Amino acid sequence: MKHSVNRPPTPDGAEDQGNEPILQEIINIKLIESGEKERLMEMLRERLIECGWKDEMKALCRAYVKKKGRNNVTVDDLVHLITPKGRASVPDSVKAELLQRIRSFLTSAAL
Amino acid sequence: MCARNSIYTTPKPCKHLADYKLRHGFNTYYSIRNCLKTTPNGRTRVAKHTTKIPRCSFCDRYQGRLYFCLMCSSLWCPTHILLHTQSEKGHEVAIDMNRSELYCCLCCDQVYDPDFDKVVVCNQVKDLPGGSKSKTNGFEACGERSSKRKRLDSGIGLDLKKSKLLVSMRDRRAKSCYPLGLRGLNNLGSTCFMNSVLQALLHAPPLRNYFLNDRHNSIQCRKRSGEKLCLLCDIDAISSAMFSGDRTPYTPAHFLYSWWQHSSNLASYEEQDAHEFFISVLDGIHEMESKIRNSGKDDGDCQCIAHRAFSGLLRSDVTCISCGFTSTTYDPCVDISLNMDTSNLSSSNANKPIKPDEKTGASTLSGCLNLFTRAERLGSDQKLHCQNCQELRDSSKQLSIRRLPLVLCLHIKRVEHSLVRKISRKINQYMQFPFSLDMTPYLSSSIVRSKFGNRIFTFEYDNSNSSAAYEIFAVIAHSGMLESGHYVTYLRLKNQWYKCDDAWISEVDEGIVRASQCYMLFYVQKLLYNEAIEDSSFVHISPRRDPFDSTAGCS
Repeated sequence: MKHSVNRPPTPDGAEDQGNEPILQEIINIKLIESGEKERLMEMLRERLIECGWKDEMKALCRAYVKKKGRNNVTVDDLVHLITPKGRASVPDSVKAELLQRIRSFLTSAAL
Repeated sequence: MCARNSIYTTPKPCKHLADYKLRHGFNTYYSIRNCLKTTPNGRTRVAKHTTKIPRCSFCDRYQGRLYFCLMCSSLWCPTHILLHTQSEKGHEVAIDMNRSELYCCLCCDQVYDPDFDKVVVCNQVKDLPGGSKSKTNGFEACGERSSKRKRLDSGIGLDLKKSKLLVSMRDRRAKSCYPLGLRGLNNLGSTCFMNSVLQALLHAPPLRNYFLNDRHNSIQCRKRSGEKLCLLCDIDAISSAMFSGDRTPYTPAHFLYSWWQHSSNLASYEEQDAHEFFISVLDGIHEMESKIRNSGKDDGDCQCIAHRAFSGLLRSDVTCISCGFTSTTYDPCVDISLNMDTSNLSSSNANKPIKPDEKTGASTLSGCLNLFTRAERLGSDQKLHCQNCQELRDSSKQLSIRRLPLVLCLHIKRVEHSLVRKISRKINQYMQFPFSLDMTPYLSSSIVRSKFGNRIFTFEYDNSNSSAAYEIFAVIAHSGMLESGHYVTYLRLKNQWYKCDDAWISEVDEGIVRASQCYMLFYVQKLLYNEAIEDSSFVHISPRRDPFDSTAGCS
């Protein structure tokens, strides 16, 4: 249902990427500690609703459930179904805005 | 719509959840109560680990969905939670950390338990400012519900009981086999806006029954008010003329004159807006009836026929973004004006450009209703004073329908104002609308409930689904431009559609209606609609008045 849709990109299993995951983690920790992550999530949710992305995902889920039957679908099925499509259809403007916010947060947090 | 389960049928718990509850009851539910943290917008998270980042106990993942085992408080990602359940007996039920929703590890699916929801929602209400004392989060008193239900029942009972006593009378003068009550209205000079609304009003089941049952007696009315003009008397006259069986187009001149007296600012030969006319007619009816009854009751409790048929109640929740304090207000309404749900308009997306190939779907009524009930973040220039924070704060506003009317009039706003170019433009975009409409998702009970996530906890004032099912009976369509257009009404009588284009009445296929450019949609509650179909061949013979008398004013 609607809340199954809201998730950040899934990392591909346990990969060995050297230093990168560690930097990501540090950023993530900083974002969470300051409460900025929560604000960014809220903003992201609003944008995705406004541009109709959420409705599109909802429609995809509905169509799938209709095809398979209400009792033959699990949350996991739906997540696997819409994750690739969802990630591909996030508008560039939303991505740009998020990146901008994170960038400005990092420059202010680095001080 | 054929037999369809209500959206909120309580899903049965899976075997694993049922077993789990037998063993542990509510203990684990209560134990996580202290770990729940509610944000101002209503989302509740499990926030036990305030210092550490929550990670999967197997793969250390911290992104995506994480589940919190109710038995041992360990954390797992969806891929590895099965490992945990397989190794530890009895650890089958977990809670989604970000959403506070139950998950059964063996079924790999979300599960629902009203008892769990109750614990979570109580916590949410407690956490949000003003929670336990105020009624803003949906826990209204039971008393309110029963009195509302009584009102609804009496509204239906009144009209249906009377119509059962009607005498059958088939009109022998009818040249065609058109149902009784169908009659053209002559255009008196750009008055198609008036004719179209009159057609819709006169065929709205509560109003049709009201006039056919002679609830407004012209003779007594004239005695009481002297020479003063009465809109109700004039509508009564038109109604008698419509149902007289005479098929020659009728000229509502007297009504037009009365209406000009009432709404002198709109008195001209220019084309007027049908919706504006609709509002002013209802207003005129209300004024007249409140003079008769000498009551100054406000719209919510008014018993005039206009309000009994069209009056509903809207709920507006304004939430402070910072602290979550919500202030709720109720406003009566006689119709709902909807903005169109198209994202292709340049004016609405000046700040947020969208990829050109995105969102090219057609506009639909459900889309418009979703837009209407969507939580809207008010701009920073519209900061409101939050009682809890004691200062101006950014807020979000959400509308929902607290009480549905018997007759639901939906007005589609097809005017676009460009502030930049200072002109108004008509939106000609096609909007799809259904013949059967379920208003349940737009009710306050649904909207308020959904604020707290996927809950199946029932709120006190849940309406029974039968009163949220509507059937369409009239469509007012507009064609042409803003200043010079034309209105026609499509009426649905006994499952056949008729086009009422001023003086010309014709049978049309439902496809024509679906393809029309709708401006106002009239739905009536399904119960009334079904009764109306059965009784539409009957005409009430008043002992006082012969309905076949030609009425004054018909020049």
